[in-house]
Amino acid sequence: MENKRRLFLKCACATAVGAVGSTKLIAAQSDTKTDTTEAEVNYALIHDETKCIGCEVCVDACRETNNVPEGVSRLEIVKTGPFGEYPDQYFSFSRKSCQQCDGTPCVNVCPTGAAYKDPKTGIVSVDSWKCVGCMYCIAACPYQVRFINPVTKAADKCDFCKETRLKEGKSPACVAACPTKALVFGNLKDPDSEIVKVLKTTPNYRRKTELGTRPKLFRIATKSGEIKL
Amino acid sequence: MNPFHFDSLVWHWPIAIYLFLAGISAGAICFAVLLKHFKLGQNAYKSSFVQAACLLAPLAVFSGLGILVLDLTKPFDFWKILVFYNPTSIMSVGVAVLMIYQVALFSWLACLFKEPISNWCDHRWPLIDRILSLLDKHEPTITGLLVMLALSLGAYTGFLLSALTTFPMLNNPVLPMLFLVSGISSGAAGTLLGGLLLKGNPDSKEVHFIHHIEIPIILFELVLLFTFFIGLIISGGQSQAAALTALGEGFWGWIFWAGIIVIGLTLPLAFNLFMTASSKRKLSYVAITASCSLLGVLLLRNFILYTGQMTVA
Ligand code: SF4
Ligand code: SF4
Ligand code: SF4
Repeated sequence: MENKRRLFLKCACATAVGAVGSTKLIAAQSDTKTDTTEAEVNYALIHDETKCIGCEVCVDACRETNNVPEGVSRLEIVKTGPFGEYPDQYFSFSRKSCQQCDGTPCVNVCPTGAAYKDPKTGIVSVDSWKCVGCMYCIAACPYQVRFINPVTKAADKCDFCKETRLKEGKSPACVAACPTKALVFGNLKDPDSEIVKVLKTTPNYRRKTELGTRPKLFRIATKSGEIKL
Repeated sequence: MNPFHFDSLVWHWPIAIYLFLAGISAGAICFAVLLKHFKLGQNAYKSSFVQAACLLAPLAVFSGLGILVLDLTKPFDFWKILVFYNPTSIMSVGVAVLMIYQVALFSWLACLFKEPISNWCDHRWPLIDRILSLLDKHEPTITGLLVMLALSLGAYTGFLLSALTTFPMLNNPVLPMLFLVSGISSGAAGTLLGGLLLKGNPDSKEVHFIHHIEIPIILFELVLLFTFFIGLIISGGQSQAAALTALGEGFWGWIFWAGIIVIGLTLPLAFNLFMTASSKRKLSYVAITASCSLLGVLLLRNFILYTGQMTVA
């Protein structure tokens, strides 16, 4: 009996120590995460739905620049409508791509660290060599924008053209290609940037913020055309 | 909606099988430990039921890991999961637990079978004798660790899914508890079935002992399922929609009510109560009861995995 009780106590202590240890670890991890927001640069994007005409030039530009294989895409324009009576009909367009979350559900679940947030630019990206293709991140992304690249077999998604256009010092392909200038790309840390000015003066919204994702894809709403309760 | 193919589906049935096998392994080894400590003592290794549990635990965990690896898009890169760790990732922590669990598992098995092992070695290899006596000295610690790791493993199968904020039905605090408890009951069922296959006596004290624990476990599972779904329904919004889609009509609704509630829980409970009352256990009764609970747990894993991914936050 003595022995059993001692065993039980040992177990209980070990469990307590383990539990405290792991919460410490997680706390330490989130500390380092807030550090990254101290960096000089934190890129974000605005999609102005009032200017978007749904031409999908951005979609093609992205595919070409980033060599995205057919059958998958980093960027889609979702069309809803038509609203109103002929001839005054119109559609509304919404951008479906990585929201570049500051709270990164995809990074938190990745077992190898292949999904990561670049501390210098705040861009969420994938190291395709480290990725084993467990698809945990695809399930964890509430915006359902990640996919397995059929060529690399790794998880893939929009990275603000980090490896292509940004390296050449240019703005992302979709932003440059947009004929109506509906996309604004810039650094949230720079108070003089266009993106900060627009965000400070124009009502905007983000999607699914209640999940703690802190997305950096901001949207300027167009007239909605329907009343949803 | 096709029950096996829909847009928001990311993880398919191999993951459900993996979760099922990890749960069985954890449950079976818990029963082996309990049987040894409370019923059989030093001679535990002679019992067919303990032997079945000791075969089942490592086999289930190996095949589960095998399925997990094959299900990766890059199976040959699986070693990267073992080399790179991410403390915020439940999968990463779970793989670490699985590795330590296997070490504890084999150490405990060595303690359990030390007599046949040392008889067989007949002091030919002094190293093995030394290892055995070392393990034997620390047996209480190993046992404690093993039980803790087995319980963590069982709970991990639930945490893996409940970490997904995308899906309100999976992102549910009751899920780890539910999977832990159903994993333990599948371990009991696996131990019973395996023991019978190894020619164990269906009216032995091992069977009585396991059945005795099974009744409260099934009742607790029912309470957890109730809490799980009532919790979702009263949360409103997408949680409610998720619960109602899962439990409603259609393929998965049938699986839940007929497969999980009736075959997986109610029948075993009824059989168990009946056998306790009549106090005589026949082979067919024990085998049917165990098969029903095993099937129920397998269906539960698939049901939660698939219906959980149907509704997005
Ligand atoms: S939108 Fe999805 S993929 Fe992009 S950062 Fe957020 S969670 Fe990750
Ligand atoms: S699929 Fe790749 S990037 Fe996504 S969680 Fe798994 S290892 Fe990480
Ligand atoms: S920023 Fe680059 S990667 Fe992202 S959608 Fe635009 S073009 Fe594609």
